[in-house]
Amino acid sequence: MLKINNLHVSIEGKQIIKGLSLSINKGEVHALMGPNGSGKSTLSYVLSGKEGYEIEEGTIEYNGKNLLDLEVDERANAGLFLAFQYPMEIPGVQTSFFLKTAINSKRKFLGMPEIDALEFAKLIKSQAEDLGIGSEMLKRDLNVNYSGGEKKKQEILQMSILKPDMAILDETDSGLDIDALRIVSEGVNKLRSEQNSFLVITHYQRLLNYIKPDFVHIIADGRIVKSGDFSLALELEEKGYEDISKTA
Amino acid sequence: MSTAVKLDMMPSKDISDYAEKVLLNNPFENFKIENYKYAQLHKSITSNVSLKEFKADFSSISSIKNIKLSDTSDIDMLSDLKKWNFNNTDSYFRVNSILERSSKKINLDLFREEIICLDLSLFKENIHLSKASDSPKTLMIINSNLSEDSARSIILNLSENAKLNIIHYNISNSKSFLYFEINQQNNSNLKFISFQSNNIHTRNEFFASLEENCSLDLCGLNIHNYGVNDNYSFIQHMKPSSQSREVFKSIVKSGAITNFQGKIYVDPIAQKTDGYQMSRSLILDNESKANNKPELEIYADDVKCSHGSTVSKLNQDQVYYFKSRGIDEEQAIKILQKAFLVETLEAIENTQIKEYSYSLLDSRL
Repeated sequence: MLKINNLHVSIEGKQIIKGLSLSINKGEVHALMGPNGSGKSTLSYVLSGKEGYEIEEGTIEYNGKNLLDLEVDERANAGLFLAFQYPMEIPGVQTSFFLKTAINSKRKFLGMPEIDALEFAKLIKSQAEDLGIGSEMLKRDLNVNYSGGEKKKQEILQMSILKPDMAILDETDSGLDIDALRIVSEGVNKLRSEQNSFLVITHYQRLLNYIKPDFVHIIADGRIVKSGDFSLALELEEKGYEDISKTA
Repeated sequence: MSTAVKLDMMPSKDISDYAEKVLLNNPFENFKIENYKYAQLHKSITSNVSLKEFKADFSSISSIKNIKLSDTSDIDMLSDLKKWNFNNTDSYFRVNSILERSSKKINLDLFREEIICLDLSLFKENIHLSKASDSPKTLMIINSNLSEDSARSIILNLSENAKLNIIHYNISNSKSFLYFEINQQNNSNLKFISFQSNNIHTRNEFFASLEENCSLDLCGLNIHNYGVNDNYSFIQHMKPSSQSREVFKSIVKSGAITNFQGKIYVDPIAQKTDGYQMSRSLILDNESKANNKPELEIYADDVKCSHGSTVSKLNQDQVYYFKSRGIDEEQAIKILQKAFLVETLEAIENTQIKEYSYSLLDSRL
């Protein structure tokens, strides 16, 4: 599904990712763990297509296509989703309007007619309820005056209704209390199937207790230095990044 | 305090001539005045963008009363120049139009309909409006296609306890120059929204004088004009306990210039005044310009007055967020423009007019 090969990325001349390779197959959940500044968020932005990142070397293949040829919105419509660490506040745009516009963009891409009002209301209601998002919140401006936890839930709601093939969760657990962490994880697990894949970026093993990954990768200084199964996350929690990087 | 205009600076007898001169023939060439700082009245502004003609089509709004000439009567319209608290500034336009042009009086209380439409292209005269009742009425003031005669003065008197909503559609495809003078007596309430688009060179002046316990909402929405779009406001609180709220928002592109200059004046006796002014401009390209100049002049000590002003480009991180959810850039930019402006339309009370204004905005994005 996603094949990253020898990726080198720089921002304003500064190299951040230095030869990263990673393959994610359909139905797999990969966790990417690493210290601050190791290139985790940069990787997520590069995958989603944010401007300002220079790809110096390497390839990214997504479902057989060159991902780097696609615009940000084309990647999203092709089934790639990034749940942001810091979701943008959009004053003046009602949350439910934003959700509807996003759904209709995908439907347009798929050659489907716009979603009808009743179907939309049903879809949103069921998904939002599961995440503990009240109808009052859907009427508010997108992410404006949302708490940290509400913003993350909103990202997962967007993910649930867009049903991506490949979802990247960028530190979705940061700023969440235990209850919110459980709710958000349940949202992710509900979507999990043999048809779609996840790249879960996190600092902490805690999230992985809820979202059990098939593979765990340690990133340090722009490269994957160690890969393994869930036990690697446990080892990391015990020894810390420095030790693991040394033994790599 | 007021500074009368010297007569030798007044250009011509006829107001349309005057507007022509103001807008084209440069009477202000060597003349610097703060109120006209950015208006570029001495310049002949032309548009290199082919304009789409706007025709006001209000067919979607039911039961409008269109004001006809027969609904009006003649009046001498003399504005009390002394009542305005200027500091070495004045409105040249007002002085000229009021002294040199005939006027028509319109009593808004005479109409039964809730929506009243004043199409300025039907009148060559200045307009003197009055309302004394508190019935919920919306007055639409249209200036669209006024190219033949693009200058008007409109004076509005609201009596004690009177209420009125005004929506001004300033979509002239050309040059236009309007002076609004608002006199609010005790406990009166006015919501005034000015929707400005598709103009080549405009100057809108809003002068409002508030007595006791009044409320004034003045909102300006300015999107995709060409050349220079200039708004000047002067709100004076002359008695205690009145509230004014002013929001002007502009979006410019294609080398256009948008200006906002606004002053809130609070008289020494106007204690408990609550004044708010916000001007924000969004610039979509590197060729366009925005000048915002908020001013406060406060002589009372127990007042609440705040103002803010921003000039910015579109937030690219917001555009990216939309795109990351599959929404294409063109649509994202449209939605963000609308989100930026929509606050100025929120005060519209009549749902038909509100919907029409939203659809008009959509068509201009």
